[in-house]
Amino acid sequence: MSGTERAIAFRLNGEAVSADAPVRMHAADFLRHRLGWTGTHVGCEQGVCGMCTILVDGAAIKSCLMLAVQLDGAEVTTVEALAEGDRLNAAQESFKRHHALQCGYCTPGFLMLAESLKASGRTLSRAEVREELVGVLCRCTGYENILRAVEEYLNADEPEASR
Amino acid sequence: MSAPRQSLIGAALPRKEDDRLLRGDGLFTDDVQLAHQLEMAVGRCPFPRAAIGAIDVAQARALADVRHILTGADVRAASEPLTVLRPVPGAPLLPYYALAGEEAIHEGQPVVSVVAASRAIAEDALELIDIDYEPLPHVTDTLGALADDAPVLHRETLPSNLLTSNVDRAGEPEARLAEAPVVVEGRFHVNRVSALPMEARGIVAHWRAGARTLEVHASTQTPHLIRQQLAECLPLDEGCIRVIASDVGGGFGMKLGLYPEDVLAVLHAMALRRPVKWIEDRLEFFRASTQAREAVHEVRIGAEADGRIVAITNQYTTDLGAWNSTYGSAQLSSVVFTGPYKVADAAVERRVALTNKTPIGAYRGYGQPEVNFALEVLIDRLARRLDVDPLELRRTNMLRPEDLPWTTPSRAVYDNGDYLKTLQMAADAVDYDAHRAVGRECHDDGRLTGIGFASFVERTGYASARFLAGRGSRFGAHESVVLRANRSGGIDLYTGVSTFGQGSETAFAQVCAEVFGIDYEAITIHAGDSGASPLNTGAFASRTLIAAAGAIREAADALRDKTLRIAAMVLQSTPDALEVHGRAVRVADEPGRTVSLADIFTRAIIGQGISEDEAPGLEAAAHFEPSHASFSFGTAAAVVSVDLESGEFDVERFVMAHDCGVVVNPPLVEGQVRGGLVQGLGAALAEELRYDASTGQLVSGSMLDYFAPTIMDVPPIDLLHTEIPSSITPFGVRGVGEVGTIPPAAAITNAVCDALADYGVEISTLPLTPERVWQALSAARNAREPR
Repeated sequence: MSGTERAIAFRLNGEAVSADAPVRMHAADFLRHRLGWTGTHVGCEQGVCGMCTILVDGAAIKSCLMLAVQLDGAEVTTVEALAEGDRLNAAQESFKRHHALQCGYCTPGFLMLAESLKASGRTLSRAEVREELVGVLCRCTGYENILRAVEEYLNADEPEASR
Repeated sequence: MSAPRQSLIGAALPRKEDDRLLRGDGLFTDDVQLAHQLEMAVGRCPFPRAAIGAIDVAQARALADVRHILTGADVRAASEPLTVLRPVPGAPLLPYYALAGEEAIHEGQPVVSVVAASRAIAEDALELIDIDYEPLPHVTDTLGALADDAPVLHRETLPSNLLTSNVDRAGEPEARLAEAPVVVEGRFHVNRVSALPMEARGIVAHWRAGARTLEVHASTQTPHLIRQQLAECLPLDEGCIRVIASDVGGGFGMKLGLYPEDVLAVLHAMALRRPVKWIEDRLEFFRASTQAREAVHEVRIGAEADGRIVAITNQYTTDLGAWNSTYGSAQLSSVVFTGPYKVADAAVERRVALTNKTPIGAYRGYGQPEVNFALEVLIDRLARRLDVDPLELRRTNMLRPEDLPWTTPSRAVYDNGDYLKTLQMAADAVDYDAHRAVGRECHDDGRLTGIGFASFVERTGYASARFLAGRGSRFGAHESVVLRANRSGGIDLYTGVSTFGQGSETAFAQVCAEVFGIDYEAITIHAGDSGASPLNTGAFASRTLIAAAGAIREAADALRDKTLRIAAMVLQSTPDALEVHGRAVRVADEPGRTVSLADIFTRAIIGQGISEDEAPGLEAAAHFEPSHASFSFGTAAAVVSVDLESGEFDVERFVMAHDCGVVVNPPLVEGQVRGGLVQGLGAALAEELRYDASTGQLVSGSMLDYFAPTIMDVPPIDLLHTEIPSSITPFGVRGVGEVGTIPPAAAITNAVCDALADYGVEISTLPLTPERVWQALSAARNAREPR
């Protein structure tokens, strides 16, 4: 299978990963089915629904639109990295407090998007937060509680402040 | 005496489901990965209708790592047609096999399936399979399918594409219409839409031949019903089958019952004796998962000059698609066709039409949004015709609290409520009187403002198994629960209700904790595993809590009685002097005299340290069947501004005033209503599964072409509640799962027509796009000049 797979090395949630990636497999499938990290979900495989949003070198990326081999050399973060031991992180706590999830299928995508917004350090108005969240779909909540949760998370000075 | 604990019914407790889902620790179907697992891909008919000739699988079979291929003939030899859980009364069964035989009758119908080492290889193999298709004449239009010259889909069984028709009626509506001073009528087209859960369907089937056990992981709302249907379709006893639905990424009614791919995965798994996984991709989803809603309603309303409605008739045609899916097309339109209004003379005729399209199935609201659109838009037309205020017209005709309970012309019984109150709340919230005083033209930019209302009732739950039997349904009305004490001093709650976002784990635990008195945190939910839960019905029809609350109450009472008996012996007291507090039992008047639940439960479980009269074990099962359905109700109001030149419009505000009886968990209720509203708004304004009439192809069958609402598409929504306990359900709860989908289309259409009332614009077709408004405006302008 050497012609159809390629060796890649990258960092995933702080740990070094070396693996063979099928050249026609997208990054989301690779994370889920080759590495067993199933917290990242897949919803459309055409870059619309945003279920598969992860952080690649700090940027929120729809990982179904990226080939696994493109992860080579990258710093990758998925939803599994967010909680601190048994404690949810501030974004997760905010989602829980605001009932910002129902079936939970889109939740990892929104959380990773929220992390990228937080890391950018930008101060965003409510309208701007809304615009930033347009790339992930949710069919359960009607979005209002997701907006509230993300807004509160972004406005908290320190992660601990919102606990 | 210690202070009584605050009731948990109505408490905004954190959800049981959240932590695992927030951490990416949920277990969705595609997260299941079994050793030696293979993957399935399905080849689908590219034509709306085609005769299937030779199928050449030789090349595909020769491809490396391809393990098994099934065609229609194989499926006929090994399985029965998919069974229907909700047959249409009076209609013949249409044998529906998992793969097409000599003819396929909708685009996307499964024709061949392949199992290989990976999905990618299975898809490569599909490319190598040569199928002789001969396209045949097709029909995709709902009413066109009933024309005399339409090609008939099921020629062996039916003389036409009319599967059946049935009538519900009371009084003499035709006579009342004939003598009514005012009659309005309209033909309303309701669009075909998708429930579109973010997780599509999926199944992992594992046949352990030696154990004669079929273990199935499936993304379903009804694990026990899937188990029943698998046993009906396959040469297997139900006892051999275990269906597990762990986390389900949204259902909305679409994940009820068996689908062809479920049977295929099981057939492959049994032939190969290896686990087989099938995960529906999104392109398949749009063609393979049941679609929803499409219907044409022809409604007439007769009224006195003072606005009193004397008769309503509705003849509607509901589009079934090519087959009767497990649940089939909507029947609820007939149940609520008179809405919240006091009308004694009324008739409804439901006609079910077959078309060469993907089968229709259940979707949140299931007939109620469709008929609400037709009725409420026509009510506003009646108001304009009579020149009375639409709010006043509704007030005149609405059932009053003293009219309830009310038996409708289709013999549904509305329980108690105050419909007028929610109407007034919605009107007040949008400042309706001020709007009326200011008039429609209040924007500087020339945009016109309009306000529209839609009032509704929502049938929640089923009356009884007897009621369902009368309608031909092959499932019960009950829910069931097993409560089992554990040695940590907690309670395990086992339910067949799977978890797909509705929050049932949380609500069930709240009810159990409330009745037993134990900490909410001490209850562990085990949901959705047919091998570890009592036989139940499943989560649909806004029925779960109505039925489950009764079962949980009964089981928790039984568990509590025994707990207190044993504790009374230990504490040398009497059961009625004791109370459960946290994780202990104590003497109510002497809180210091206490024994832990861990101690009591352990004694009971192992049968040591209990009275000789007590049997060991501490476990209770209960089944509860409601005696009636309960009707939630409310009124929505929309405020729009319309651009007169382009037809573009904004929904500036949307208000929903509603009642779902006693609320168990307020954030859950708000989440259900808000989420349903946004689905309803999407269906009203943008979503549509469009088929090209000449080619029979689905032309909006991808996420890029099907416009589900994003966060930017949602208008400001205000929710208002009344909380009138239902007089007929446990704890006074009513269902709330579907209510949001019902009124958006009518409320917004009425608002747009209100804004454009001076131009005589009438709108009867969904989705309500700016283009459609512009066309209606142009047509109205051509017909007459502004008043």
